[in-house]
Amino acid sequence: MKSILLSGVFVLGLSMAAYAQEAVIGAILPLSGSSATQGEDQRRGMELALEKINAGGGVLGHPLKIVTEDSGGRTATALDAAKKLVTVDKVPVILGEFSSGITIPIAQYLLQQGRAHINIGSSSTQIRTLGKGAFSVIGLDDVSGTFAAQDVFADGARKVAVIAPNNAYGQGIANAFAAKFKALGGAITSTVLYTEGQTTYRRELQQLGAGAPDLYVYTAYGKESATINRESFELGLNDKKWYGLYLTMCTADSDPQYVEGQIGMDLNYIGGNGADYQKAYEAKYKGGFTSTFNGFAYDGVMLVAAAINKANSLDPQKIETAIAEIGKSYEGATGPIVLDADGQRGAQPYLRLKIESGKAIATQ
Amino acid sequence: MSDFIIHVTIMSGFYALLALSLNLQAGFGGLMNFGQIALFACGTYGAAIAFHFDFGAISGFVLAMFAAALLGWAFASFGRNLQADYWGIVTLALAEVIRIVTTNEDWLTGGAQGIGGIPPLYPGLDSQARQIAILVTVLALVVAAGLLCRHLIGGRYGLSIRMMREEPQLAASLGYDTIALKRQLMAASSVLAAVSGFLFAHYVSFVGPEQIDSSETFLIWAMIVVGGLGNNAGAIVGAFLLQFAFAFIPFVKDWIGPPTEYVAAGRLFLTGGGLIAFILFRQSGIVPERVGGRRYV
Amino acid sequence: MFQFLVDVLMRACDLMLVAIGMSAVYSLMKFPNIALVQYAATGGVLAIALQKAGVPVGVAIIFAVVLTGLLAVILNEFLFNRMLKIGSSTAMIGSLAVSMVFSAAFLVTVGPNPSRFALPVSRPIRILDARITEPQLLGFAIVAAAIGIFAFLYFRTDLGRCMRATSTNEVLADATGIDTGRMKTIIVLISGVMAALGGVAIALKGEVDSQVGMDLLLPVFASAILGGLGNPFGAIAGALLISAAETVVTAVNFGPLMGEVAAFLPVAYASAISFLLLVAALLWRPRGLFVSEVKRV
Repeated sequence: MKSILLSGVFVLGLSMAAYAQEAVIGAILPLSGSSATQGEDQRRGMELALEKINAGGGVLGHPLKIVTEDSGGRTATALDAAKKLVTVDKVPVILGEFSSGITIPIAQYLLQQGRAHINIGSSSTQIRTLGKGAFSVIGLDDVSGTFAAQDVFADGARKVAVIAPNNAYGQGIANAFAAKFKALGGAITSTVLYTEGQTTYRRELQQLGAGAPDLYVYTAYGKESATINRESFELGLNDKKWYGLYLTMCTADSDPQYVEGQIGMDLNYIGGNGADYQKAYEAKYKGGFTSTFNGFAYDGVMLVAAAINKANSLDPQKIETAIAEIGKSYEGATGPIVLDADGQRGAQPYLRLKIESGKAIATQ
Repeated sequence: MSDFIIHVTIMSGFYALLALSLNLQAGFGGLMNFGQIALFACGTYGAAIAFHFDFGAISGFVLAMFAAALLGWAFASFGRNLQADYWGIVTLALAEVIRIVTTNEDWLTGGAQGIGGIPPLYPGLDSQARQIAILVTVLALVVAAGLLCRHLIGGRYGLSIRMMREEPQLAASLGYDTIALKRQLMAASSVLAAVSGFLFAHYVSFVGPEQIDSSETFLIWAMIVVGGLGNNAGAIVGAFLLQFAFAFIPFVKDWIGPPTEYVAAGRLFLTGGGLIAFILFRQSGIVPERVGGRRYV
Repeated sequence: MFQFLVDVLMRACDLMLVAIGMSAVYSLMKFPNIALVQYAATGGVLAIALQKAGVPVGVAIIFAVVLTGLLAVILNEFLFNRMLKIGSSTAMIGSLAVSMVFSAAFLVTVGPNPSRFALPVSRPIRILDARITEPQLLGFAIVAAAIGIFAFLYFRTDLGRCMRATSTNEVLADATGIDTGRMKTIIVLISGVMAALGGVAIALKGEVDSQVGMDLLLPVFASAILGGLGNPFGAIAGALLISAAETVVTAVNFGPLMGEVAAFLPVAYASAISFLLLVAALLWRPRGLFVSEVKRV
């Protein structure tokens, strides 16, 4: 009896020790649902980071492992995934998601559970107020709003109408843009927040056109973006210019004929040191970037690995301190990442784009 | 795996409370309530709004119960002369209006974004112990609610409710105020639904309008029909059965390998197909209603 | 102004044919058949799928519509008649279950993304101050033609007379020698065809997805009930009324009142208005605004 007990404790001790030393982190991505294209691209960025890290010996002398869960584009599923990662896989840090409406609740849950959270794809300004332990490697919309407002104002428009989805992302970016545009001296004729999941947006678009703006500012993704672009064409609203916030995301699912001539801004998804990363992506996946988001997922994983090594521990608190430390100046594939006092990326470079013959071309 | 089973059991418990509530209305009272999820919403949003405005959990509970009782009473008061299926359409329409208002009034409900970060039950315990504590609480509640419903329906009140369902004119002629009976029944069962909602909000930590879509009401209907209309044990059985079946669809998906849309389709197919099968072939459900045979005062 | 009229007409056309189908079949079946809106979705989805498979648009539409009508007859024969024998409430729940199975089928075959007819992209036509595209004009034409043909059939032919007789009073019609069984089948077939045509018109004007059927449910009910159940042509007026209410609610510019250039009610409140109209109709005018053949609501 005693020997069984003893050997049991021994085996338990060994497995616990082994378990404790395996470096496992979590990720929640929309691998299915309306943002599946972007989610899959994020996964690719993470996979490239994983390969690079493990080729260099892993973290703390062990291979790094990422447990990826599918959010299905739904908050409830994402929260279930977060619960599982925390209680079953016992990860100290989780990266994700893509949609602000999902990122915020999971971040709130994770912070409550004492884990660290890295935002790799959402930009709602509400993320800034999440609290200690929540970090973003992607610029939030207070930064993008300023850029877009200046761009639109410089284009000559003084009265604009804004349409964005009715969720944390849409509300955040519409407010950020409006505030900055008004500060420059422009006027917003109306803001429409559209409900996702509808098959027609005629009424919303007509409300938008009622104010007779000089230019339309819009942001949308998934099937709704296709519908909005088609119906604005059918209603003749594209007699005026359309400016897309995160233009490639807005036009990815739309028929090229409907979006010809649109202008907009988007993330500058590759920085000075990103050339190697870009080569690796193109080699592995036989083609160019499918979205602008893979680089941020890559940077997120690389940052976490560096933090684990610096903290020399898998304790969430120590990792958080290390991230804040490293984040003071980190060179990522997407450019220099400097985390401010809230843990958010301070400087985010953007591009100006125009759609010509179905492709997004960078302009001045 | 055991964590997962505990989680599914807890969720089944919430649905069992909702099924018991709907069973009181539809199974015993003949009230075809297609707006059940709005009563659940009183519970979830009561908790969420109290958290959002820093009222405290107790106030949230009181708010939830009050709102649910009021809404249930209002449902019962509408359309006193309407036949059951049309009254059902009215409740469906009202529940949808509530959902639309919830989605658009962000200042109150957080809009489409919902309200997140709701603190968990038993905050003092660590996560393993907390799960067990919540499991025990929910199961105890289900048993208590089941016993309460049985007590409610077993006596003279239950007889009057059943008479109101089967022979409303006879009940009226015997002096029963059918409208008052309906209102009491709706108010009581609404409060039960809101209790489920309140605890749900604190368990999932997030409340949003997609949780109160009409398809959720249809799901609860399937649970009580499959389990057996007019039987409390049946309602609980139906809830657990369907919830567990749904929880294992993703695993089946992993084995066979179809795309994720098939999970949602699988749930719908199971619910709809199960309903049709039970309506056609076993109308009394898994646990049939017992007519007579219980002691009546 | 003209754009406003065009919008009202467009929305009304979405609802009209399906509401006519629902009204026509209601008087026969005596229960609200929720699966009817899924016939509309089936018509649209099937026509698009056939066109994708290479069938020319016109032929695809005819095939899709006829197939859906036959499906309606089959479902009626094997499912709804049997459920109706148990009770009208049961039949309503059964029709709900059938519509869930339809949704599952759509998710599995078409997927969650919307589908469209493969029509050439054309600039919209300007008529006065309104913009319409050619497919949308085609949708109007289909609806107008369907109503015209149905009116001719219903009022000018012998068959139509027999149908009206069977709808009004089945027992009496039977006694006068009309083959009510055959009439019922024909009416179910026609209602399925009308609903499917409605779905095709919706698909032509824009796109359809797996949810389009259930999204139509409450507005179509509202139109049919406002027009008077059993009175198919009342449903046309009902559809126009609901459509006008929805369009007015979101087209009124409150901006000048509030000192802004443009301020509107959120578009989601358009559906809320039609739901509230439905509730109002059921509570205060359950017989409909026009003559209703149906005594019981």
